[in-house]
Amino acid sequence: MLSLPPLAAESLFHIGSFPITNSYVNSTLGVLAFAVFAFFLNRSAKKYYAFGAPKGLVNFFESILEFVLGYIDSVTKDRKKTMKFLPLVGGMFFFILFSNWIGLLPGTGSIGINRAGEFLPLLRPANTDLNMTLAMAVFAVIASHILGIAAIGFFKYANKFIKLGDLYTAAKSLNPVKMLVAFIEFFVGLIEVFSEIAKMVSLSLRLFGNIFAGEVLLTVLASLISGYGAFLIPLPFMLLELIVGIVQATVFAMLTLVYLSIATSEIHGHAEEGHEKIEVSEVEAI
Amino acid sequence: MILLDLLIPIAHAQEAATASSGGIASLGLNVKFFIAQLINFAILLLIFWKWILPNVTKALQARTERIEKSLMDADRIEKEKREFETWQKNEMTKARQEASAIVTSAQTEAGKAKQAILDQTKLDQQKLIDQAKSQIESEKNRSISEAKGELANLITSATEKILRQKLDKNSDQELIKESLSNIK
Repeated sequence: MLSLPPLAAESLFHIGSFPITNSYVNSTLGVLAFAVFAFFLNRSAKKYYAFGAPKGLVNFFESILEFVLGYIDSVTKDRKKTMKFLPLVGGMFFFILFSNWIGLLPGTGSIGINRAGEFLPLLRPANTDLNMTLAMAVFAVIASHILGIAAIGFFKYANKFIKLGDLYTAAKSLNPVKMLVAFIEFFVGLIEVFSEIAKMVSLSLRLFGNIFAGEVLLTVLASLISGYGAFLIPLPFMLLELIVGIVQATVFAMLTLVYLSIATSEIHGHAEEGHEKIEVSEVEAI
Repeated sequence: MILLDLLIPIAHAQEAATASSGGIASLGLNVKFFIAQLINFAILLLIFWKWILPNVTKALQARTERIEKSLMDADRIEKEKREFETWQKNEMTKARQEASAIVTSAQTEAGKAKQAILDQTKLDQQKLIDQAKSQIESEKNRSISEAKGELANLITSATEKILRQKLDKNSDQELIKESLSNIK
């Protein structure tokens, strides 16, 4: 019978009472890979920056970083903001990309242990665990709120959701149309609170769904034909998964970037707010 | 039929994978795992933020600033060069005009000086000629008067000799000849 990867990550062993899952192993590998990369990058940076001309690893990373900076610049239109968002957006992008691509390496999903007649793979792509994608989404949305409050102040930021200030101004004007508009806007603001939850859900489910679907697809294709065909048929789809990996990393990072940009910019009018919402929906459509 | 043969085992497998639990739990959501993944992700971001980015972004920033400064310097130098070239051109034109004016003025002055010298020379020459003429005239007059005086003396002395001696005709002739030869 065909054995598909389960929706939930499998527990491999326990550290105390805490179960270690195969996706957690992958995300920890990602952290270690980042640490090792940082070590070699800094060693290389010290070596080359003394002479002014970067080479090797530093040069490679610089070229990628410049591309990412240009990309973020195209959304923020401000280098200062770009530098502020880079650690979160860039880190997120590189981690998702690394996790997605490492899942395509031989061994992920195929090397494992047998426990009570059940095969448990030792490695499972980190983003095929909803806990991981949800953690990143929650982190991104909370970070956008924190940065938003830091950028425009608590009361102005709170007025984006609970529009008591508008309601008070309209009540003072005694204009029934203004009062009606303010009343409607007050409830629209409350709906915005729920949209923040929707952001987390959509971000996490999109990434999880795409990467998990890719895993399932590759498993199914590998199971269709026995023999050498099992190695050949998934190859074009693995290439497709490489593209899916980079597209999903870009979408997640870009959406986070848009959320950060919107949160850190002051509301100037309904027209601009509407324009920003159109931009978000365009990225979400991908 | 082939498609059904393929899809049925997939459906069975999916059912088996999700049969153990339902709802959110079937997606594997678990608070402990969630917090663990959140911590992992936070550590990763910290590494990226504090350990990977600083050196490279600092170098990129410094390089960008250096390039911008170089471009600004290049623009400034280019502007200064253009200004210098314009100034040099104007100065050269001015210098040429001044030189031309000086040459023209020198030529005019030289012409005037030459004419003045020529006029003066002519005047001096005329003065010298006149002086020489008057000197010659006075010399001539003086010579004539001296000759006249001499002749008178000769005549007187000859007359005296004639008178003192008794002169025959031959002696007289000889005496006249001698006196005349003395005159030459």
